Amino acid sequence: MTEVKTILVVDDSKVSRMMIRAFILDKHPDWIIEDAATGEIALEKIRTIIPDLISVDVNMPGMGGLAAAEQLRAECPQAYISLLTANIQESTRRKAQELNVGFLEKPITKQRIEQMISILENN
Amino acid sequence: MFQLIEIQHDALVEVFNVGVGRAAAALSSMVNEEIILSVPDVYFLSIQDATTALNGGREAPKVCGVSQRFAGAFNTNVTLMFPEDKSLELVRLMVGESIPLEQLTEMEHEALSEIGNILLNSCMGTMADILNSEMHGSLPEYQVGTPEEILGISGNNISDLVLILRINFILEKLKLQGYVAFVMDAAAMEDICRHINDYLASFAHND
Repeated sequence: MTEVKTILVVDDSKVSRMMIRAFILDKHPDWIIEDAATGEIALEKIRTIIPDLISVDVNMPGMGGLAAAEQLRAECPQAYISLLTANIQESTRRKAQELNVGFLEKPITKQRIEQMISILENN
Repeated sequence: MFQLIEIQHDALVEVFNVGVGRAAAALSSMVNEEIILSVPDVYFLSIQDATTALNGGREAPKVCGVSQRFAGAFNTNVTLMFPEDKSLELVRLMVGESIPLEQLTEMEHEALSEIGNILLNSCMGTMADILNSEMHGSLPEYQVGTPEEILGISGNNISDLVLILRINFILEKLKLQGYVAFVMDAAAMEDICRHINDYLASFAHND
């Protein structure tokens, strides 16, 4: 039995946010899932919540996911952060490494989301 | 009309092949079904000839188009098109049974944009990696119309060339056929040629 975790999903695609939420709740119905459609909204949200894990899409309106991940990394040192993106280029993977955040490829599947949250289950 | 020599054409088809293969793998894991791909057909046409070819000699069918502007290795406006009448079923395959039908219809356009975003980024990202370069994509734009209406969107000049990549991606359940069209101006054509030449040169000395 794992303790209740808080997850922040940052993605401009509503269907992506819904799918991530559904796959996490399937496995952990009691976990708290917050979402944000842009990096700016995510940075607002972390003033009131302390996420254990943050998934960040890259191609988003506004500041975009890479800039958001960089600031979220600085503001939430305790959180696991992973890019979850269709931008699968080597250059994007490299930037994820430089920012010290994880990298997961879209499309969103049950297996990928389980892989993402497994880091919380093992801790 | 713009022409590549045979070896350049072969290399270009191969680069697209890998890109589309990656996109198909992404689509397959989205819809949980095997995707049967045809060998891509790559050819250059004017926008006008391209729309005629896409209509297939029939009355212009309504298609869904998802477009993204990519800049980097070469600049292009890429559009993925597929038949409108299959779109809701495609979304249903993607989200499974977890979302009720009313909500699904409501978010159909948004979901199709996301499908386009994933497929186009898989394809372009793989190509950028192969060409040892980078591609930066804009946000996806979704529209419904005839191929002519969709390719005639702002930013495309009538003098621009269209690289049509015709692939049949067949989903057993949907019998879905899709097209990807890359609209490029003369400068972009030169850029892609240069990258293809570098790509060819990179393994020429290993022979």
